[in-house]
Amino acid sequence: MSIHENLTTFQGKNVEDFDPDQPLGDPRTVAYRIRLEWDEGNAGTKWVDKFAQLLEKPDSGKVESLVIGAWEEVGGGTDSASIVEALAAARDDLPGLKHLFFGDITSEESEISWIMQTDLSPIFEAHRQLEYVTIRGGGGLALGRVRHERLRELIIQSGGLPPQAIHDVLASDLPALEHLELWLGEPNYGGSATAEDLAPLLGGEQFPKLKYLGLKDSVIADELAGVLANSPILERLDVLDISMGTLGDEGARALLASSQISKLKKLDVHHHFISDELVAKLQSLGIDVDASDKQKPSEWRGEQHRFIAVSE
Amino acid sequence: MWRDSTSQGIRSGRRFVVIGNPGSPRIGLFDAALDRQGHPPAVLIPWLDWIEGRSHLSDILRRGDVLRIESPGRHFGTERAILACGSESAEADDCAFLSPAQVSALGFDKGRILCPRQWYLGFRLLLNRLKRELDELGMGSELVLMNDCDEIALMFDKPACHRAMTAAGIPVPSSLGQPSCYGELVTRMTEMDHLRVFVKLAHGSSGSGIVAYQTDGRRHLAWTTVETEAHSGRMQLYNTRKLQRLTSQSDIAGLIDALCKNRVHAERWIPKAGMDGMCFDLRAVVIAAAPAHVVARLSTSPVTNLHLLNQRRSAAVTRHRIGEEAWSAAMRTCAAAMRIAPKSLYGGIDLLVTPDFKRNAVLEINAFGDQLPGVLHNGLETYDAEIRALAAVRVVEGAIA
Repeated sequence: MSIHENLTTFQGKNVEDFDPDQPLGDPRTVAYRIRLEWDEGNAGTKWVDKFAQLLEKPDSGKVESLVIGAWEEVGGGTDSASIVEALAAARDDLPGLKHLFFGDITSEESEISWIMQTDLSPIFEAHRQLEYVTIRGGGGLALGRVRHERLRELIIQSGGLPPQAIHDVLASDLPALEHLELWLGEPNYGGSATAEDLAPLLGGEQFPKLKYLGLKDSVIADELAGVLANSPILERLDVLDISMGTLGDEGARALLASSQISKLKKLDVHHHFISDELVAKLQSLGIDVDASDKQKPSEWRGEQHRFIAVSE
Repeated sequence: MWRDSTSQGIRSGRRFVVIGNPGSPRIGLFDAALDRQGHPPAVLIPWLDWIEGRSHLSDILRRGDVLRIESPGRHFGTERAILACGSESAEADDCAFLSPAQVSALGFDKGRILCPRQWYLGFRLLLNRLKRELDELGMGSELVLMNDCDEIALMFDKPACHRAMTAAGIPVPSSLGQPSCYGELVTRMTEMDHLRVFVKLAHGSSGSGIVAYQTDGRRHLAWTTVETEAHSGRMQLYNTRKLQRLTSQSDIAGLIDALCKNRVHAERWIPKAGMDGMCFDLRAVVIAAAPAHVVARLSTSPVTNLHLLNQRRSAAVTRHRIGEEAWSAAMRTCAAAMRIAPKSLYGGIDLLVTPDFKRNAVLEINAFGDQLPGVLHNGLETYDAEIRALAAVRVVEGAIA
């Protein structure tokens, strides 16, 4: 499984590909996506050129939602450094930027684990109005130690999230953060984090407003469920999301044994390897449980293997 | 060229003759269409009988007949006969080949890819012979041909189609030519800065012999419809419906080297648009110069061919998803692509639409790409539409006066 379709909506707005030859619509109702198609890349156009054209448009200062699509040679290893630089430099041009999707890139454009990100901290430093940020691609990703008053939602989608990126997130000062979603991925693609790397989060001191925690797409889902089940952070959450990973009966038992689990509003474990019997027990917790998309382990050389939803 | 015309077309009462393989679903589907359109079943000339001289066009064809040339595929006897025809040319062509003795010793081996370049060279010789025999009948415009021998040969030659479309200004992914080995492919990928490519057998069909390969110089990933098996030290190639994933450079190199011995066409892998969480391309059947039946072929892998049992979406759903402007542009490109085979009544165009829906590119043209049972356009299946089209068209510079 991987991602094959671009966004059609983002933060409740229709996503439209920015066309330099067209005037902007109402920037408050549209999320503009800037992307390069193959022939534009051939012609030597760069992502930042199109971005500069957006900034030249009257009304571009009203843009609230921006989607960064495929950039030049994104599947061939070109990283996002030039984009970060241009976006950070546009601090005064986009004073109202609240919603950012960095990397609306399908596997036809680049496999998720081949997307090369970079240090994105200049964006958070420059754009103080940001509230919702999604980043796709964990390769080369760093965030520095973000200090940001307004950020309410941070999602990092990856096929393998480097431990350093996790350390950066967990060392960040994000007092408004309500929703944190990390796609941890698998070690083959850089996702070598252990439960220990996530320990600072589980203590429950950090991110005082956190209501939604997603530790998703993980090969250590059972282990994570075990530590989450008894961690103080669970008391503060509305939603625990351990979906898309390798969660099986071991993790499900740990969750069922937790005294806090039934105080959640929702538990999301979709794409899982849990037996029907334990799925039934989860579903009788009296909370909203998404246990859809049950997976079967694959047999290979006499061993059973569990695959996460998005890797490569 | 096939055009709408008010002149007298093909009325019922004409006799249809098909060169094809007995037992092929295509024959039954065509007869069913003839029946629905008020014609008796077609007279069948089995490929193998004609190839081996047991059946003669001059004994069968009469003035006023309509001749349809069908796919010679999926019939092992015919496949062997075509391979035998191509043996000499293949040896001279320096591609993988089997001698006539080796060909006659072949047993059926499901899915095995047998010297496709040799097959093509044999098929081309047979099409030339067919064309000559048809000319010798001297029926001129009194024999109506649904297909054209030269154009079938063209449509079975991917590099030649790519050249013809490029010359005609039709959007196609840029070509990396016909590399003779993996090393040469990589050199071209680096020179052209195309790190994602499709490598296809130059003469494959129905998804046979396709590799979608990407590298960033460090990592390597290939999706392929080919399975390899070692038989007494030699690598044999098989078509598989279960897409294979290779990540070892040496495995990928070995596979591509083996395909290159049968001649490949390499072109840039242009990203395809998505819908319903999958990527897709279009198969459009162009009939009498007009795009008619269209299906979107959806896939969670880069390879979308129908035989891989991928999902489909209807023309209406696809049109709604990509919008009127993109749809019209796609249909215009399909019609333009078919103009490289102007004497053919029909053909199947594979077309990609880019993720922004604003661009498109032709991936393939298929001479026998009209088998889409159950897909309707204006209430007609493809074969019905072709038969009806004969009643309303004439050929300029072609068979029908």
